[in-house]
Amino acid sequence: MKMTTRIAFNNMKYYKSRNILIGIAVILTTMLLLVVPLVGRGMIKLQFAVTDRLYPAWHALYRNVDEETVRKMAVHHDILRYGLRSDAGYMSLDDASVGMIYIDETGTQLYKMELLAGTFPAREDEIVVSQGILKELGQEGDIGDTITVPYQIFRGGELDLTQQKEFRICGFLEDSEANYEKRMYTSLISESFLKNEVPESEVAYRFLFQIADEGLTATDEIEDRIKNIAQQFDIPEKEMNINHEYLMANYVDPVMVPAIIMIMAVVVLAGVITIYSIYYVSMNQRVQEFGRMKAIGGTKRQIRQIVLREGLCVALFTIPAGLLIGTFISWGTMKWFFRYAVSESNEQFVETAMDILESGGVDLYCWWVYLLACAVTLCTVYFSLVRPMHLASKVSEVEAMRMQTAGKKRRSRRKGYEFLSVGRLTVRNLTENKKKSAVTILSMAATGIFLMVTATVLSCADPRESADNTLVGQYEISPVIEENNKEHPERRWSEIQKDNPLNETLRRQIEELSGVERVDAFSVLRIAGGTFSEEEYQAVNGVPKEYAKELERGITEGGVTYEELKSGDKVIVDSALLHWHPELKTGDKLNLTISDGSRTFEKEVEIAAIGEYGSGFSNYNYLIMAKEAVDRMSEYNSDNYFHVIADKDYDETLEQKLDEIVRSSERVEMRTWKAAYEEWKAALGITRGVCYAFLGILGVISVMNLINTMINSVHVRKKELGMMQAIGMSDSQLMKMLQLEGLFYTAGTLVISVGLGSLVGYPVFLYAKRNGMFNISNYHYPVTTAVTVTVVLLVVQIVLTAGISRSVRKNSLIERIRFSE
Amino acid sequence: MKMDSGEILVVEDLVKYYGAGENLVRAVDHTCLQIERGKFTAIVGRSGSGKSTLLHLIGGLDRPDEGKVWIEGKDIFALKDERLAEFRRKKIGFIFQDYNLIPSLNVWENIVLPLGLDNRKVKRQDVREVLEKIGLTDKEETMPDALSGGQKQRTAIARALVTRPAIILADEPTGNLDSQTELEVMSLLKNCVKEFGQTLVMITHDEMIAQMADRVIEVADGKVVSD
Repeated sequence: MKMTTRIAFNNMKYYKSRNILIGIAVILTTMLLLVVPLVGRGMIKLQFAVTDRLYPAWHALYRNVDEETVRKMAVHHDILRYGLRSDAGYMSLDDASVGMIYIDETGTQLYKMELLAGTFPAREDEIVVSQGILKELGQEGDIGDTITVPYQIFRGGELDLTQQKEFRICGFLEDSEANYEKRMYTSLISESFLKNEVPESEVAYRFLFQIADEGLTATDEIEDRIKNIAQQFDIPEKEMNINHEYLMANYVDPVMVPAIIMIMAVVVLAGVITIYSIYYVSMNQRVQEFGRMKAIGGTKRQIRQIVLREGLCVALFTIPAGLLIGTFISWGTMKWFFRYAVSESNEQFVETAMDILESGGVDLYCWWVYLLACAVTLCTVYFSLVRPMHLASKVSEVEAMRMQTAGKKRRSRRKGYEFLSVGRLTVRNLTENKKKSAVTILSMAATGIFLMVTATVLSCADPRESADNTLVGQYEISPVIEENNKEHPERRWSEIQKDNPLNETLRRQIEELSGVERVDAFSVLRIAGGTFSEEEYQAVNGVPKEYAKELERGITEGGVTYEELKSGDKVIVDSALLHWHPELKTGDKLNLTISDGSRTFEKEVEIAAIGEYGSGFSNYNYLIMAKEAVDRMSEYNSDNYFHVIADKDYDETLEQKLDEIVRSSERVEMRTWKAAYEEWKAALGITRGVCYAFLGILGVISVMNLINTMINSVHVRKKELGMMQAIGMSDSQLMKMLQLEGLFYTAGTLVISVGLGSLVGYPVFLYAKRNGMFNISNYHYPVTTAVTVTVVLLVVQIVLTAGISRSVRKNSLIERIRFSE
Repeated sequence: MKMDSGEILVVEDLVKYYGAGENLVRAVDHTCLQIERGKFTAIVGRSGSGKSTLLHLIGGLDRPDEGKVWIEGKDIFALKDERLAEFRRKKIGFIFQDYNLIPSLNVWENIVLPLGLDNRKVKRQDVREVLEKIGLTDKEETMPDALSGGQKQRTAIARALVTRPAIILADEPTGNLDSQTELEVMSLLKNCVKEFGQTLVMITHDEMIAQMADRVIEVADGKVVSD
């Protein structure tokens, strides 16, 4: 063994307690560096496996493609294989929706469609149904039996009048729970039925296909090709649907890898700070030793090597331990994540995931992640040693003998307290080691700041708020509108206006229900022409006076009062419109063609202001006026929405009663706040899970840092503390002093992490909002996290100090006074 | 234990062993001792004879396996740790070979530290008097690192004197000093003790210093061999 290595190895054993601390830090760092990529990779692989099982296999589909284009696209060199689907129409049923769809053979493969029994339809009168469909039809039958189906076919962009036909059942599809719940089903019909019913010129296909992916690995490359083909065949963007889930599951998402690397970088940074601070704190103690080594002929290089090798020796022993612990924790984290963090969202997804996970369908462990964790940990140790190495090699022989730190001029005089108390003693101690105190606090605060920023984003991503944005009040009742259904001309908006189900009777009926506070009506005026020619059904949203304040509050540019909006000559433009028309600004005039019932008229309005509103408030309309103005321009009852304000967010009895009213009317439908809330909660579930995991990691690092610092600061001063006790400091005074010191570190850490973290959190929130992350709209201070962090740090510190002073007292005073490490 | 009014310290059959079996070290082995008030007693002996252990036990820094130590009529090992610490800072002043000053405190603060720990008011004049006696009036604000060895030990002496303890225990206080400084420190210590009427028990292996004492006790293998 080389001399330097042997000295380093012996040093490691000699400074056992300090090296144990560093060992713990290395173990935790290794563990996190292993767990993050393992779990990240495992999650991705698992998600892919689930997606492969649940999602269709086509890369993209183009809608409304005619036969001619299909023939041309079929031979395109970038298309590996393709399938066709065409929606012929719907069965005429009151509440349920049963699509009648033709899919060719490749199409069924790309959709991963499998029959429960029987064969796909081939003859004109053959049909594939499900038990659910038969129930909706009120008929019974098995394969070979005949059923009578009333149906409407799409012709000329509309659903035509109801026809009736006898079909022979040739196969069965399985129903999912979602089918039953939403009463939405799919039946399959043959190509000959489609061609018989729909004139050839009107047959519109969905062209589903896989891209020839030789040489392609990233999702965006494949997407580029999909868009490229669409361009070549003049397929507009809105007719294109890319199967992102499937692509992500089978190709590398370019965002995922940087995200994992970023988390690992945070871990490395925290590890470097922690290990460095341990070395830094204890370096002063060892100056003499390095000086002696130099005095007997050690070169700078040799001393650097000794420090480095001691650190690497520790890493050598602890990295395997970290890997072992990380291996177990990764598995646990995966299961925990799916059991608790995601369980609220898509049940089918979670069930499939758990199924795959437990049957070992995803290989969680992989050799290169282990190699990576080792390599990155070694780098972390190296980085944290760079400065101590430099310091040690700079020690001068003479200075070292006089017990002074290299290059550091200690003050020789200083004004002091006339009288010393335990409190003042603590202050002295901390101010005398200003740099050490600062390094300690900053290293702990660094992770604290990360924690607060993440918590800020998380606290802003609130499903409650997102739900509030999507729905005003607790229930939203609106007429059933269908513009293109020959069977139901009365469902056209122009007809609804003439006999609007949202009338005074309905309003009174709702208002009488217990739990309802009031009903607010929003009206609309349909518009066309000018700026809005491309948008199919745009409208001016009429906001009632109860919302005047909210309306004015949402204005971001320009200014207008609710009173001024009553004139009907001024509108507020929702900022979402600027996405399509960035040239619009306040003061511009808009020429609107307004349709009201059967008549249309022209109207010029001025953009008085631009504002930001939730979709529940704007009802997806870009122009906003006072309801009074909208009502005045319309000859009819133009109320489009009844927003029901209830005293509780969710009240089962009230919802049932409203449901009854909606059912009995048959002409209105209802959306509930609760459903929107559940939807958002599910959508944010996974994100929250990931963020909480990340917060957990940061929390562990923070606490680890605190523990290291506290143990260290006492450990290196064992002798000094012993001296104080020898001249009469009692145990309780020692305890008090250590508590005060700890409190100072904790308070400093808290002030910086909570203070600075909160300050930094706000711009991050603005960034997240601007980029539409997690549907964030309002700033919320992460109170819970701030309080939790404060309480946890305080408790850890108090418990720790008690533990440490107990362990200090385990040694007798004499041992402590003689203590020389 | 009956205590003579002239005796400030009584050691009764004190035992302290370290290790076990073949490695058993009889550091203090059934030692008895009485020390009179206001006297300067030197404990001498070879290195490893157990004199330091004896001194530590007398000062209540360590607890014995058997036996008792009485200071001013009080059985110190009957006190709980907390009380013992209090007793120590009121009644005993320590001076160590390697000074044991607190590096983050200046000279004045090091001196008044025992008073602070005892929540006693600092009488400026008293501290000044001590400082003057030890000749460090102009070093009040100096940090320990900037002091010479002799100055450090003088500061430690002042720290031991300032609480006006009943007994001062010194563990080779001049061991790290050159002969000139050694002499200075010793005469200072002796004068102070005399002036403040205190009792001094000092460990040394220096013949010359031992001769300055009123009484010399020799220790070997944990036992008092001559008095």
